Amino acid sequence: MKILVLLKQTFDTEAKITIEGGKISRSGVSMIINPYDEFAVEEALKIKESLGGEVTVVSTGDDGVQDALRQALAMGADKAVLINPGTDDVDEFTAATVLAKAVSGMEYDLILAGWRAVDDGSAQVAGRVAEILGIPIAKLASKIDVEAGKATATCEIEGGTEVIELPLPAIITAQKGLNEPRYPSMKGIMQAKKKPMEKKGLGDIGLDAGAVAAKVKVLSVALPAARAAGKVFDGEPADTSAAVVKALREEAKVI
Amino acid sequence: MDFSLPEEFVMLKKMVRKFTENEIMPLEMTVIEREAARGFEATPSMPPEEEKKILAKAKDLGLWGIDVPEEHGGQGLGMLAKMLVEEEMNRSICWIFLPPDSPNLDFLANACRPEQYEEYLFPYSRGEKTSALALTEANAGSDAAGIQLRADRKGDKWVLNGTKLWISFGPKADFFIVIAVTDKVKKQRGGFTAFLVDKGTPGFTILRNIPCIGDMLVYELLLEDVVLDDSKVLGEVGQAFVPLQNRLGVRRIEIGAKCCGAATRCMELMLTQARVRETFGSPIGNRQFIQGMIADSTTEIHACRLMVYHAASKYDSGEKDLRIEGAMTKVYGTEMLQRISDKAIQMHGALGLSKEMVLEYIFRMCRIWRIVEGPSEIHRWLIARQIIRSEKPYETIFGML
Repeated sequence: MKILVLLKQTFDTEAKITIEGGKISRSGVSMIINPYDEFAVEEALKIKESLGGEVTVVSTGDDGVQDALRQALAMGADKAVLINPGTDDVDEFTAATVLAKAVSGMEYDLILAGWRAVDDGSAQVAGRVAEILGIPIAKLASKIDVEAGKATATCEIEGGTEVIELPLPAIITAQKGLNEPRYPSMKGIMQAKKKPMEKKGLGDIGLDAGAVAAKVKVLSVALPAARAAGKVFDGEPADTSAAVVKALREEAKVI
Repeated sequence: MDFSLPEEFVMLKKMVRKFTENEIMPLEMTVIEREAARGFEATPSMPPEEEKKILAKAKDLGLWGIDVPEEHGGQGLGMLAKMLVEEEMNRSICWIFLPPDSPNLDFLANACRPEQYEEYLFPYSRGEKTSALALTEANAGSDAAGIQLRADRKGDKWVLNGTKLWISFGPKADFFIVIAVTDKVKKQRGGFTAFLVDKGTPGFTILRNIPCIGDMLVYELLLEDVVLDDSKVLGEVGQAFVPLQNRLGVRRIEIGAKCCGAATRCMELMLTQARVRETFGSPIGNRQFIQGMIADSTTEIHACRLMVYHAASKYDSGEKDLRIEGAMTKVYGTEMLQRISDKAIQMHGALGLSKEMVLEYIFRMCRIWRIVEGPSEIHRWLIARQIIRSEKPYETIFGML
């Protein structure tokens, strides 16, 4: 079973986000594997452990992304592939085009990814890759079973779950709860630096800057407004309860 | 001069940080409650079943025996890697001893004879057996020359009589390395011998635990006509002192690393408090008293970390005589942590003193560390004596030039 995992490096979820010069500042922020992609890596390793095979992690970005890939190698992935798009001006179209093109030149039975990245949260890339490759996709899986030629994914839908069977090759995206990602072991860490890390440019996979130019332009970035202070109702419980209900209905309009 | 850590060591440090935050820190409140509730009993503050689970997970991750040479079944990654693990794990107040405990392993690896490997060295290095060093007595601590526990030669046997005090591990230890007088004239110059005494040996009793400050669990041992044969002698008869000195050197740098971890935790709490806590309409981080505490503490942690990393990398490059580095790191690290935990409590006011935070626990913990493994005064004496006695130019004494 050859499994590919599409992986994105994101800000640490505990990082404090600041904006400098109209862009989100990367200085002093520690970077991690997108947590949903980490579920995908873990699931790939579990499938490999039960069925045998090989796990390759694939990402697009600059050299800094190697840290995230190395982390996945330390967890137990066998190989890493990194395609540098040669620009910071990247949208979902760019990422999906680059990843799909890179993946199309590789052997695979199953592609796993997180259902979204925690940074921009657009949840588009895996779907776009499936479309370009012309293979089925199941999203938001909380359980995945793989057997010869097919996969069954239990996926989250509004108010319930849906069980989807897909012929392989296919893409499945991971939701929280799919598994508990392992820590990289000491042995894994020591082996990681000996595992292959293939670095490619656009030209190496048959693309050029024009073919991947972003279609979406970010006009501005803003931080969410600071949360306003809560409102305290003073007085006798009977009076304050009435006041709270009134405020919830008329001011907050939630009931 | 390259101060950067190798990439795999950075990954190791991050992994241990995550492990500590996810697996160990959630137990801190339990540890605080159990420690407060135990009174004069020797109840371990960490629930034994939780400790077992954490140790098993740590073993799977390859955190046991980080610095243990590969020929003894360890990871062979050296002292620096071990110090990084210690530093990260000590951001939590929960004391987890990752077996094998390197100072005793060092002693065993240097002193065990091949016929003792199967019973002591190998199971110890695999973490299957726990050991404790029984050196200190009522009238002999840092000045070990005063020990009185006797080992008399009777026929082809040794007979041990005496008591040991302030001995760690107690009932947890499968065997004790007991230092005894075999020649009371020669004393530490050829008259002290190390013996391997198994738990349950006739005549060997753990008399009592001695209730102490904080998480210090120590015991009094009684040896009454304990009969041992030559197979229980560790190392050469009369030569316990040399491996003993090496053993203590390793521990001192390790304590420095532990202090860096605990001080980092204090610092993180101080920073949150400085940013979040407001008085008279402004965060306290805007006040110079608070800024002074933060600036000084950051500087001290940085200094201590560099001392630990430097000593550890010297050890890894083959330097074994780290007496000055060990002493400096131990004194500086423990006293730094005392100052920083004190400032951290001060910044938190009543909350800092409460058992709803880890600070008062750390504060009492580092008071222990300023005494165990040699009090600050002994280490200062050692540093000064080495430097004054040395005939080398000052800068060359510990290899900075």
